[in-house]
Amino acid sequence: MLVFIAGCEPVKQYQKQYLNDEDMQLQNRESELFGIEVDGYREGASGANGGKTGGGCGCN
Amino acid sequence: MRLQLILILAVLTGSCVSIKAQQPLPDSIPVSTLDSLRPSLPVDAHFLLSYYEQDGNHSAVTGGTGTEELQDIASRIIVNVPVDSVTRISVDLGMNHYTSASTDRIDSRISSASRKDNHVEMYFGYEKDIPKRKMTYGLNAGGSIESDYLSTSAGGKWSKMSENENREIMVGAQVFLDTWVLIFPEELRTVASQQVHTDKRRSYSVSVRFSQVLNRRMEAQATAELVYQHGLLSTPFHRVYFENEDMARIEKLPESRWKYPVGLHLNYFVTDWLVLRSYYRFYADDFGIIAHTARLETPLKFSPFFALLPFYRFHNQHASDYFAPFAAHLQGEEFYTSDFDLSSFSSRKMGMAARYAPLRGLARFKLRESVLRLRSVEIRYARYRRSDGLEANMGTLHLAFILP
Repeated sequence: MLVFIAGCEPVKQYQKQYLNDEDMQLQNRESELFGIEVDGYREGASGANGGKTGGGCGCN
Repeated sequence: MRLQLILILAVLTGSCVSIKAQQPLPDSIPVSTLDSLRPSLPVDAHFLLSYYEQDGNHSAVTGGTGTEELQDIASRIIVNVPVDSVTRISVDLGMNHYTSASTDRIDSRISSASRKDNHVEMYFGYEKDIPKRKMTYGLNAGGSIESDYLSTSAGGKWSKMSENENREIMVGAQVFLDTWVLIFPEELRTVASQQVHTDKRRSYSVSVRFSQVLNRRMEAQATAELVYQHGLLSTPFHRVYFENEDMARIEKLPESRWKYPVGLHLNYFVTDWLVLRSYYRFYADDFGIIAHTARLETPLKFSPFFALLPFYRFHNQHASDYFAPFAAHLQGEEFYTSDFDLSSFSSRKMGMAARYAPLRGLARFKLRESVLRLRSVEIRYARYRRSDGLEANMGTLHLAFILP
């Protein structure tokens, strides 16, 4: 991981026109929220995706 | 003439000096005044409406067999309000109404009240930046309610960026304090109450998220969580059938569970019209479930205002140690479930979204002293198939508003 990070190219604020694009955001879109919740209800795995990891519902 | 010019200049100079002398030097301008001098920060609001339907043949309510037909209509409003240049509050309100053919079989009366239910949730968030230290901290609290489940939650997070803002680390914690309203299958209500010792479920999670800009077109994010749950982790109205037993029992699972999900995002801006958004998650828990999830979305930008967003998601999981299908559990097992959500299966979800976001918005709504602008609209459809036969469709409408 450290080697991977060390190979990164530093990007200045004025060079971030691509990284600041709406579709480059690392967070989930609002329209994806329902789908992520439902995936957590009908599968045994959850978490690490911005959704609930346990609790808040009577689900697994 | 020259003397007159000199006198005029002297008068003008004197008046300038006297005017300067009359204006006191400004003190340091308070932050609140600075904020009032800046244009007001916009409030953004999101309205979501979703329809979901599914069907399958492994209902956990009837022991791992029977219809899983369900329809759900959900709506959600998310409002983000900037209080000042460094402080934000958010409100997230959701409601959904669902009908379920499987929960209708908790008792023998078909089309009874257990066939349908409503779920309401509300969460509040608070975030504050500390620009000099490039730090942000946040708090959240909320709860949800439905006929058989009550939940309250609270949490917090802290994040810090590097000096060049190419790297960020975030640490968060969340706790859920939940209570079941114990509803057992009709024929098991006498014995079930002796088996269940608590109606509480507690969930605690800590998460660490690390984001890194890799180059001008690529960035990555890794998330690791540790989740601990204890209390009533089984579902009170799920039936389980055993070999050589006519009478069912209610689902029984351990009263504690550890979960270890780890996720990785990688986004790449390929060209002005193509972006790759990828995601992978590894999941393991002490129920024996091991799962891998991968998702790829490829936004196609036909213009600065219109994009199509096709996506594909694959999930594969290994069953819980406590799972067995209908009438396959053996005498002597301490814990048992026939919930196919905890079985071995693979699933595929694919779909497409379309987003239209013109520069000046789609519509304007005049309010008392301002104008609410409909900034963008997005429609999303997904088709889900699980290898045990469960199939589902979901459609979502997203309207994004901005209030300057």
